[in-house]
Amino acid sequence: MKIAVAGKGGSGKTTISGTIARSLARKGHPVLALDCDTNPMLGVSLGVGPEETDLLVAARQALDAGDLEHETSPDGIIETFGTSAPDEVRLVVVSRIDRANPGCP
Amino acid sequence: MRIAVVGKGGAGKSVVAGTLARLLARRGRKVLALDSDPMPGLSISLGLGPLTTAMLADAAEKDGNGRWRLKKGIGAARAVQRHSVLAPDGVRLLQFGKPELEGMAPLMGSLNAFYQVAHRLAQTKVLSGWTIAGDLPAGPRQAAFDWAPYAKFFIVVVEPTWQSVLSARRIGRIARAGNGVKVLFLANKVSGPSDTKVMADRLHAGLLASVPADDAAREADRLGMALLDYAPSSPAVAALETVAGELERRSGEGSVPGSSQIGDR
Repeated sequence: MKIAVAGKGGSGKTTISGTIARSLARKGHPVLALDCDTNPMLGVSLGVGPEETDLLVAARQALDAGDLEHETSPDGIIETFGTSAPDEVRLVVVSRIDRANPGCP
Repeated sequence: MRIAVVGKGGAGKSVVAGTLARLLARRGRKVLALDSDPMPGLSISLGLGPLTTAMLADAAEKDGNGRWRLKKGIGAARAVQRHSVLAPDGVRLLQFGKPELEGMAPLMGSLNAFYQVAHRLAQTKVLSGWTIAGDLPAGPRQAAFDWAPYAKFFIVVVEPTWQSVLSARRIGRIARAGNGVKVLFLANKVSGPSDTKVMADRLHAGLLASVPADDAAREADRLGMALLDYAPSSPAVAALETVAGELERRSGEGSVPGSSQIGDR
């Protein structure tokens, strides 16, 4: 099952997607939660904690940083840059904007 | 006075921007309200109802190298004069809007025209006496990509949720990178002193002002009306009147002589 949640700001996208992710995990599905917002907050509604969510590394920025040969497989990216959230949901922050003139995010 | 209103989705950016624009106009200022959201909403808060027109859709063209530029004869002043619409209290509204034609080209033309006009506003002599109030889309994107280079004050609207506070901190950090920009946090939908304290603690910053949670504001939103028309004497409007005065004070512009200043007391 692959779902995307969209809507206007403040309408509850993050709360709904985080809650759906955990509900499906509790039913026994392995769940990958992707935060595709450049202002990522999904960690908050998954229960990772607000300050912890603010510190999560975004895969895009992590891949851009440093000189090392980077992970090429999706599984590797999920494993290396993902975070464990409650109910065994795996959370990956895709990209974030946290500075001025960030280039193409 | 040049301000840009930013914040997380649903924090109340448009209501703050629209209400402040009209209150500043009532205080005797010529006000240009800018909505740079491709999903426009400022027209509602200004009292024009839902208006989706892409006002600068035909203002840009591609040059020989495939780069977008404003058409000959269209600068910031002409764009405001020719393409903006009149809103209550004499405010002029210029919005990015939604192009009617499908596809990337109309969208990119509209986007580039708006972006370039926004960049020329500050240098445009005939607009030098104008107050500009920009309403930016949710999140950090437009602040990061310099969509409001005219702004001297970035007003970050925050509601008392952790998500809103985290967004505000991020957007504040980005906006501060701008030259001579002042970042001001405006608490919105505040239910009491404990909200204000928790927000200031989590923001690690002081608050410009607190706008109370107000059923009238919610109802105006539901009806698609300007808060200022639906509930002119509501506590939220009163708080924003104080903010308008405070912005005049902080910008060093003071009040405009001889104008009706319903916000002063």
